[in-house]
Amino acid sequence: MIWLTWRQFRAQTLVAVGALALLTVYLVYLGGEIRTFYDTRIAGCEAQACDVARMDLRAGFDDAISLMVVLLIAVPGLIGAFWGAPLVAQEVEQRTDRLVWNQSVTRARWLAVKLTVVGLFSGAVAGLFSLLLTWSVSRYDEVVGERFAALSFDSRNIVPIGYALFAFVLGTVVGMVVRRTLPAMAITLVVFAVVQLLVPTLVRQNLLPPVTETVAIDLAVLDSGVGLHLKDDNTFDIQGYVAGGSWPMEFSFPIYAADGSPYVGEDAVPCLIPDDPEVGDACTVAQDLHFEYTYQPGSRYWAFQWIELSLFVALSLLLSGFGFLWLRRRS
Amino acid sequence: MSLTIHTQALSKRYRRRLALDRCTLSIPEGRIVGLVGPNGAGKSTLLGLVSGMIAPTSGSVEVLGHRPAVSADQLARVGFVAQDAPVYPRLTVADHLRLGARLNPRWDQGFAERRIRARGLDLEQKAGSLSGGQRAQLALTAAAAKRGDLLVLDEPVAALDPLARRGFLRDLLDFVDELDVSVVLSSHLLGDLEQVCDHLVVLAAGRVQISGDVADLLAVHHRISRRTDDPFRLPAGAEVIHAEHSRGESSVIVRSVDAPVPGAEAVDLEDLTLAYLTRAAAGALDGSSATVASATVAGADR
Repeated sequence: MIWLTWRQFRAQTLVAVGALALLTVYLVYLGGEIRTFYDTRIAGCEAQACDVARMDLRAGFDDAISLMVVLLIAVPGLIGAFWGAPLVAQEVEQRTDRLVWNQSVTRARWLAVKLTVVGLFSGAVAGLFSLLLTWSVSRYDEVVGERFAALSFDSRNIVPIGYALFAFVLGTVVGMVVRRTLPAMAITLVVFAVVQLLVPTLVRQNLLPPVTETVAIDLAVLDSGVGLHLKDDNTFDIQGYVAGGSWPMEFSFPIYAADGSPYVGEDAVPCLIPDDPEVGDACTVAQDLHFEYTYQPGSRYWAFQWIELSLFVALSLLLSGFGFLWLRRRS
Repeated sequence: MSLTIHTQALSKRYRRRLALDRCTLSIPEGRIVGLVGPNGAGKSTLLGLVSGMIAPTSGSVEVLGHRPAVSADQLARVGFVAQDAPVYPRLTVADHLRLGARLNPRWDQGFAERRIRARGLDLEQKAGSLSGGQRAQLALTAAAAKRGDLLVLDEPVAALDPLARRGFLRDLLDFVDELDVSVVLSSHLLGDLEQVCDHLVVLAAGRVQISGDVADLLAVHHRISRRTDDPFRLPAGAEVIHAEHSRGESSVIVRSVDAPVPGAEAVDLEDLTLAYLTRAAAGALDGSSATVASATVAGADR
């Protein structure tokens, strides 16, 4: 049975191995370039030079890295559509189900071997690509990366393995139910794209309860690239605050005075000193303001990676179970 | 006595269409069974149920004493070639034999290679580029080399030209002897099956019209030819299957198990089949097909 799986999957395996080989060459090259840049411009840099080097790092590598990230994020969908969807649908379409399901191998065993072999291979392809990319851009991530950003989180470390496995099983089951390859491919792509959109926007932040912490607005906070924003109801928000490596649950948080009352427009007037922002900032700090910062600590990064991987592995197993039931009741 | 195929009130419904309607059959071991009926009679459905490709809506089916496709062992005992002999177009002939060898514990590589060579098939050719006849041979070889106890062939000669049909069937007889298997093969043309089968099942409108060993069927069916206005009396227990009248002449096919029919001639398999099919068609037109009783010849379980 493994022989047949391999024989039917030979062309796809060769394409995947070839593509991985090309990617390896490019990612090793890219990793080398980024490391050279890091060693010459960033390691041991000082103040102003560091900011410029960071900007140059972005300008020099953003495009290449984005391209690789998009490619890696597309890989599971492609696996689902091109490896998963035809797995059963094409057998039904070519009527070869009648040939292969009448050998001395039960349908359940046939499906089990196909799902295991091709599923593991799918996970391996995505995993290898992801580990290569993670290694290649590790210096970039270290300096300017936001590892909880949706595209970064989805394209680093172990999470892509879960996505690939899930997309493959999804494609297989959709093909089994729809029984036609092309519609199955289209449905798989759409459903998987929706999952890929929903998980980072609605699901991921709820996987662990966030932490809330009171942050005093001091000079360090004001210097970290935040903005104080006066809203229509005359109260202030702090926007864009990110405590080192953490994942803020909101973009803006309301600001409160020391007595717990909202910080309003009139309170800010004495500190409006356009000619000398430094004096203005010192004035604001002296007002003893704070906000409630709700976030996922950076230390939870790996917890999130493992939870999401487990989630998709579990979903894949559930879907597979449905596939076995469907195949048994098929008539 | 062991049965190759045993079905009881076997029915299969596709959405609104009843493809097979309470079909009860007992087919003894060691027969070459011809399953004949018009297109849409339910032949493929019945064979699909026998091979376990599809599941019944109601009723039961047992093949060689077990539910079809229930285990690897059971699968190993039944070789099935579906209609149009599906093969993997991108795999070579040799790949198909390798597939058979890897997936079947009782696989007979010697037999498979011998047959492929005798049919003049190129082992390295892709199955997608074989002619209809060659594909049928490849599929039949792969199913037969499993060395099961039953070979089920759905319309094996439908795609072949008349010359190839004869060759295919003669060849089938040869290796049935060699392999010692029971065979069920279907066709909408009795002519295809007449020379090879020793057991006949006539299927029409999803129901079994008649089933039995050919010799028994011929022994209990008779033709009576007479002038239409001649007096005519049937012996007790005899049943008129079909009557035809033309220009004052009548030809009646009757079934009489016990009593001899005076003045009767022998029928051939074609007359007999046509009589049952015509009766089924007439019944269907009347909308009373359900009242047409299916007849099973008692001799079948001798």
